[in-house]
Amino acid sequence: MVLDINNVSKKYNKEKFGLSNYSLSISNGILGLLGPNGAGKSTLMKIIATISQPSSGTLTLDGQDIVKNPNYIRKVLGYLPQDFGVYPNLNAYEFLEYIAAMKGVGGANLRQRIDMLLEGVNLTEAAKLPIGTYSGGMKQRIGIAQALLNEPKVLIFDEPTVGLDPEERVRFRNLVSELAENCIIILSSHIVSDIETIADEVAIMKSGELITKGTQPEVIQTVAGKVFETVIGGNEVSEFKTRHLVVNSIRQKDKTRLRYISNNPTEGSTPCNASLEDAYLFLTKSNAS
Amino acid sequence: MILFKSIIKGDYLQRTRSYAFLVTLAISLYLAYTFLPAADANYSTVKIGNYVGENNATWIGYVTAIMTSIFLSLIGFYLVNNSIKKDIETEVGMIIATTQISNFKYLLSKMLSNFLVLLTITGIVFAMGIILFFVRSNGADFNIVQFVLPYLLTTLPAIFFIAAFAIVSEVFLGRWLALHYMSFFFLFGIITANILPGGGSTLKMILDPFGVKVVTMGMESFVQQHFDAKATVSSIGFNFSAKKELKTFVFNGMPWPALYIVSRLIWVALSVALVFIASLFFNRFDAKAVIKVKKKKKNLTENLPAGNLLQDIKIAALPAISTDYGILPFIKTELLMLFRKGPKWFWVLNIGGMIALLFTTLNIAHQFVLPALWFLQVGRLSDLTTKEKTNRIHYFTYASYKPIERLLPSQIIAGIILMAGLALPLMVRYLAGGEFMPVIYLLAGAIFIVLLAAALGILTGGKKLFEILFFAITYTNLNSIPFADYFGALNNSSAYLSLMLLMISGLIITGFTIRKYEIRHL
Repeated sequence: MVLDINNVSKKYNKEKFGLSNYSLSISNGILGLLGPNGAGKSTLMKIIATISQPSSGTLTLDGQDIVKNPNYIRKVLGYLPQDFGVYPNLNAYEFLEYIAAMKGVGGANLRQRIDMLLEGVNLTEAAKLPIGTYSGGMKQRIGIAQALLNEPKVLIFDEPTVGLDPEERVRFRNLVSELAENCIIILSSHIVSDIETIADEVAIMKSGELITKGTQPEVIQTVAGKVFETVIGGNEVSEFKTRHLVVNSIRQKDKTRLRYISNNPTEGSTPCNASLEDAYLFLTKSNAS
Repeated sequence: MILFKSIIKGDYLQRTRSYAFLVTLAISLYLAYTFLPAADANYSTVKIGNYVGENNATWIGYVTAIMTSIFLSLIGFYLVNNSIKKDIETEVGMIIATTQISNFKYLLSKMLSNFLVLLTITGIVFAMGIILFFVRSNGADFNIVQFVLPYLLTTLPAIFFIAAFAIVSEVFLGRWLALHYMSFFFLFGIITANILPGGGSTLKMILDPFGVKVVTMGMESFVQQHFDAKATVSSIGFNFSAKKELKTFVFNGMPWPALYIVSRLIWVALSVALVFIASLFFNRFDAKAVIKVKKKKKNLTENLPAGNLLQDIKIAALPAISTDYGILPFIKTELLMLFRKGPKWFWVLNIGGMIALLFTTLNIAHQFVLPALWFLQVGRLSDLTTKEKTNRIHYFTYASYKPIERLLPSQIIAGIILMAGLALPLMVRYLAGGEFMPVIYLLAGAIFIVLLAAALGILTGGKKLFEILFFAITYTNLNSIPFADYFGALNNSSAYLSLMLLMISGLIITGFTIRKYEIRHL
């Protein structure tokens, strides 16, 4: 499957753009979406999920216009929004049956599929309890299960690892990697390491625009040779930050170890291997974009 | 003090900056317009025997003020009765609970915010009153004192009392929506029963929190002295009978008894005192209940086995599923949610109502038991189409396959099944007696009220407007006024059925059109 986004803009008012002339082509695999708050990630995902319409531009899935015919993608869509909720009076089983009805799936195997998904998200024991009694992590797992109910071909995960502990995050990444063999997966996260470990391609957004898109090595290349480490006195940090883009700082007694990006490193700085996080911060925080 | 003012300001702005409030203002404006019937209108609002006043500033001021006192008290209570609940829902209450503000100051701030909301609506009615004066007074002088005085002495203390009562009843009955509503329903009935019969005494005048009795007594006294010794105030409200026979008189106001003015101040003081008493029982944003609920939740999930984590899901091992675009699973789940909504013991009332439908006379069952029984479902119906947003499920529902053709109809059908199911004993009785048309009227009523709930929920994004309207409609029905009879208790003609079908069509078009737009514009 190929999802083509062509010159899509979302205008909220005369001056405010959620997205501006955004173009992207996504095929099977994992696209990691990175960007600060307000970059337009959720807007883009809502448009792909057909719950928001672009002000201009086109979106096609395998050549079918999904703005004009949203049901084409809805049949194969799995969507895990950032701040979704649940019906508190339903139990997990009833809730998943309800979501299955929404997605237009059923048949003799539905019960078995729900059972297996509940087992997979480890909610079998809690399946008969009202979801209103669940913890945040349990609700997040129900969210993951619902996204997989309909054998999705396009999966949109908006901040999916919120509420999951470190071990669950690893399992979630494994799950997404397995799904990516036959699916388009768009994964948005503030946590660069979530994207770093699994994304085939990365798209970095800022102020509604696509700054860059490419494989991880291609994106990291934008800061190659510009990342350094140095140790300075604690009282010099503020002044240092005005001259360089500091991406990390570690306090060590009266000294501070800084990792920074610069074209003009200070004397005594040590060059470092650039990471995706360096590239992300460089592209979104500096004027490089 | 800063926090006190901030709560009033924040609460007031939060409530008045909503689309629902704008709709409420628009309806208030329309209602205010109807308070003073045009010369060719087929109804009257305030009349004394067969007399109504000529449209001078005094008559318009008095009529619009007392109509506002009564109608804004009735509707206003339902508009402002959830200010504490909002703070619990948004968890702002939990933050306020950690501040130094006392329970009394918090409740007082909420009460004053309620008052300001009602005052805003009164301002709209007042402005409409002035416009009506210039449109309908035929060049009479505008006597500002006579126009303002009834608002000042009658309406303002009345809405102050309502603002306080809303807080007090929310503290004691806030968790049980229907009981909360019913408590005011009865209080309102008692107060209006004190106002409506003609004549009166000083005690009745003082015991009237709406402050209307003194005005009706004054008007009666004027008409009795000058025109008709037997004339009494026979109606305050919308009276659709015998308008053509009414005579007019010039009303130039009445003396306001000192005792009355003192009583109005006492009502204001009593309102504050009631809030103070409530504050003694207010356990800080229902903190104990919240803790209890959290403990209960914890206990339920605490007993689960350890290692309660996301497991490895083998996608390839999941069984294949087939497509099913039917709506029966939706209807089933929507019905399940309707049944589970609210406390379980509430179903005892529902079953009691259904039994009453079987064993009271047909007339009583249709005209009184059924509207009361249906009104008990107000909490279930009002969130029929708003619960998706309230529970943040709309991300799923709006992105689902054909939501307009499948989900929305399912919600409406589930609502109709509930309402028709509750009316089933009555339908069976009619059918057993060989009467088919009343069953059609009952079904039309069930469809209408469910669609009204759905359309208003979609239109305003909230539950309030429907709840207020449903209450007003039910109140009107229980008072045997045919105007709002939507289930054929008093109306039984083909014209009535045609009107119902027209309104049902309008509601369907409104609800579906707006929801169709909404699902693509999150």
